[in-house]
Amino acid sequence: MKRLIGVLVVLVLASQAMAWPEKSPETPKQATATQQGTAAIARAIDKAVAAKCQESGIALSPQTTDAEFLRRVHLDLAGRIPTLERTRSFLGSTEPDKRAKLVDELLASSDYGRHMADIWQVLLLSKNSVARRLDTDVFVDWLAESFNKNQSWDNLVREIITAKGAQDKNPATTFWLSQASVDNMTDTVCKVFLGVQLQCAQCHNHPFTGWKQDEYWGLAAFFLNVKALPPGNKQTTSPVVSEGKLVRKKNNALPESAKVLPPKYFGGPVAKVGSSLEMRPLLADWLCADTNPYLARSMVNRLWAQMFSRGLVHPIDNIHDGNPASHPELLEELTRRFKDGKYDVKAFLRGLCLSETYQRSSKPIEGNKDAVVDSYARMPMKVLTPEQLYDSLIQVLGSPERGAMARKAGTTPVKGAKGPRAQFVAFFSGEEDADATEYQVGIPQALQLMNAPRTNAPGAALKLAGGATDPVKALESLYMATLNRTPTSAELAMARDHMKKVSNARQVASDVLWALINSSEFTTNH
Amino acid sequence: MSSIISHAMASGLNRRDAMKLAVSGVAASSFSGWLPVLANAETRLTSKAKSCIVLWMDGGPSHKDTFDLKPDSQGAGEFKPISTSATGVAISEHLPKLAKQMHRIALLRGMSTLEGAHPRAKYMLHTGYREGQGGIQYPALGSIVSSEVGRPEFPIPSFVSIGNRSYTSAYLGPRHQPLVVTDPSRGVENLKSALGGSQFDARVGLLENMEAGFRREYPIGAGLDHQVNYQRAVTMMKSREAAAFDLSKEPENMQEMYGSSKFGQGCLLARRLVETGVKFVEVNLGGWDTHLDNFERVKKLSGTIDQPASALLDDLAARGMLDSTLVIWMGDFGRTPKINTRGEKPGRDHFPRAWTSWMAGGGVKGGRVIGRTDKEGGTVEDRPIAVIDFMATVCTLMGIDPTKQIQTPIGRPIRLVDKGHKLIEVC
Repeated sequence: MKRLIGVLVVLVLASQAMAWPEKSPETPKQATATQQGTAAIARAIDKAVAAKCQESGIALSPQTTDAEFLRRVHLDLAGRIPTLERTRSFLGSTEPDKRAKLVDELLASSDYGRHMADIWQVLLLSKNSVARRLDTDVFVDWLAESFNKNQSWDNLVREIITAKGAQDKNPATTFWLSQASVDNMTDTVCKVFLGVQLQCAQCHNHPFTGWKQDEYWGLAAFFLNVKALPPGNKQTTSPVVSEGKLVRKKNNALPESAKVLPPKYFGGPVAKVGSSLEMRPLLADWLCADTNPYLARSMVNRLWAQMFSRGLVHPIDNIHDGNPASHPELLEELTRRFKDGKYDVKAFLRGLCLSETYQRSSKPIEGNKDAVVDSYARMPMKVLTPEQLYDSLIQVLGSPERGAMARKAGTTPVKGAKGPRAQFVAFFSGEEDADATEYQVGIPQALQLMNAPRTNAPGAALKLAGGATDPVKALESLYMATLNRTPTSAELAMARDHMKKVSNARQVASDVLWALINSSEFTTNH
Repeated sequence: MSSIISHAMASGLNRRDAMKLAVSGVAASSFSGWLPVLANAETRLTSKAKSCIVLWMDGGPSHKDTFDLKPDSQGAGEFKPISTSATGVAISEHLPKLAKQMHRIALLRGMSTLEGAHPRAKYMLHTGYREGQGGIQYPALGSIVSSEVGRPEFPIPSFVSIGNRSYTSAYLGPRHQPLVVTDPSRGVENLKSALGGSQFDARVGLLENMEAGFRREYPIGAGLDHQVNYQRAVTMMKSREAAAFDLSKEPENMQEMYGSSKFGQGCLLARRLVETGVKFVEVNLGGWDTHLDNFERVKKLSGTIDQPASALLDDLAARGMLDSTLVIWMGDFGRTPKINTRGEKPGRDHFPRAWTSWMAGGGVKGGRVIGRTDKEGGTVEDRPIAVIDFMATVCTLMGIDPTKQIQTPIGRPIRLVDKGHKLIEVC
């Protein structure tokens, strides 16, 4: 463990050293390849977006205020809103390069890896009755660590694709343990790593793309020897993944639609299989090769969607000729740059964040209020994910005493839920593959946020108000802690009106905080 | 488009539903398209049911010890058949009250499904699809009903699940998620504010003022949906209909009629909800997974369902609601015709190939048996019922076209019920 921390520290330091040119005077005068790459990414985006908007006569929204940028980039990179202290220091800072510095700070924070792990565990782990019995925490921790040390994406994917051994020794095996069947494995690999939806071709030739059923079962053939000993098996203490000769019985039978074919790379040749029964390494070699057209493009599209609410190709995992990108040349260029930059995820995200396009306000203006989302003339407004909402609420309200924020113990209908965070996330989760701009929450969730004891406790409000005797100061703190901006004069007047109705200062603070955390401004990333 | 949406939102729809309406050429054409298909089908069903109550027997009840007794078979078990209010129909001696309801009930003895493990069987019997099929999640039947026949302006969710884990609305969206009531005697969690009425109103007023400011800057998008949802939640808190969740409002004789068990309370709550306008209620009773000690446990569980389920049918009939309320009794699967003697006491294991469920009310003609198993109760000899037959029948009774295609968010057309169904001749 000590060694690991040592490695981490070195890596964090290394990544800081490679930061944006203005970062600090110690950085060499000559910008590194990574820095140049980052700047080039930002430029490419702004050029492509501006050109298309101009062509369609769409006006570009102005750049964000510092407050808007601060909140947005925290949510997108660290998965939570900024703290009251960081809000104050950022808004108060006059440093010209404070935005770039903030991006670096967030990418270097451990919250970054955790946020990435939140996003990726949902994509990588299948939801089915087998997966519900798995311990997925080890996988989430492993993902977080991999993202934090900025392991290159191709290496991370290789580790996942070829994962074998006991889950407690190699957490990456969890990916395979969660896939209930060969078709499940094929679907997930296609969707997540290739960015294509091949699942229709499981049973029939794909209606739009010309992909044949043979393409599906050729790819599925790479997974035919994957053997998973699930949790609770009688042979091993920890679940195990291996590759070898497999006897198919009723419980692991192939679906009726199955075709038995030799392993074939998607859209490519049949694999040259040697004497080894391990076929996943062959697939990993193909997937991570520089010539592979899918892996980098699919990741670029997903990272774009993480920041901009939807992929350059939309739906995100439906990349094919009949479904072109909103900005095809941009996707091509970004894919090339991501490959040239050795699949460096942090550097790529830094490029996105430093673009003018990312830093554009989300407020509609005359000239773009009817513009389509994928013009990126203004930033699309995203809804906080359940994880972002929970972590932001906790930051405002303080940590829950065992499950107080979540539904009471024993009443949750969701299995596999462990701590209060997992319970909250399960309760607030919407449909899979939901559009990031779509509001996914219903009445029961609104009732919980309005009426649970946790959101009604006056303690948090008083603490945030910091015993300020000046009611304006107190209100300012509450706004800065939740919406990460100062209240407008109209909002101060509104609160004063409320004060007249409620004589008790304690109650005023409590009411204002309650309204703030239940507001649409708090619930969205704008 | 935007004017349709704002109009729809004014009438209580959210953006997603409004989008659906905006493309509702689909709904209209599919409606006119399926009527002739039905008319051509051999089985004609009425569509009288306005609501549906599912009594879910979690774990899989033993058909041979409840509604399909085989006294002359090898694994006959200990229970004796008794005659019922339906001529020629016999059920277990431990269901004496339901025996008197049999003239209202259509027994479906030919249930024949494919999944023999609990989670997969439950998924399939709730959604009509195999778990993982086609790589997507499918909505629960209750969500389908909510989406197809629920009233958008109704202040309570149209799908309520009592004492059960919920299956999700999947691509039908958050409006059609079940409202889960864990304990019927406690009602909906967090339905009441922690504050007094006027204090709560003051807070909501403050929130509304804040929202108005945000709306001026962002007149579109998720912020509006959030505001509509909060309005719905506050409306529900203050609605007359929300009182349906409060069982203490029932007179004592009703409480007695349904009994004090959690299942009994759940049945009473289901009736109150249906009466108030909820479209789909599921009441859960666990404990039917009787691998060990089958007979004592099934006897006890039979006692648990006998009175409340009978009370429910009587009560619905007395209120003139039985014809418009479809009541379904079902579980994961049946149990093995043979008795296992692994444990100290005899048990029965999972058995999806042949089992029994029943329907009553909602236009279903009672007093008869559809389907027949062999003398061991192990094979369906007449009229096997697949999951899709069952789902399509429930949909049709509720006035929902089972062949209707829904576009998922990724643009895939998915049928409400998978193709190939044959309606069950329950009317």
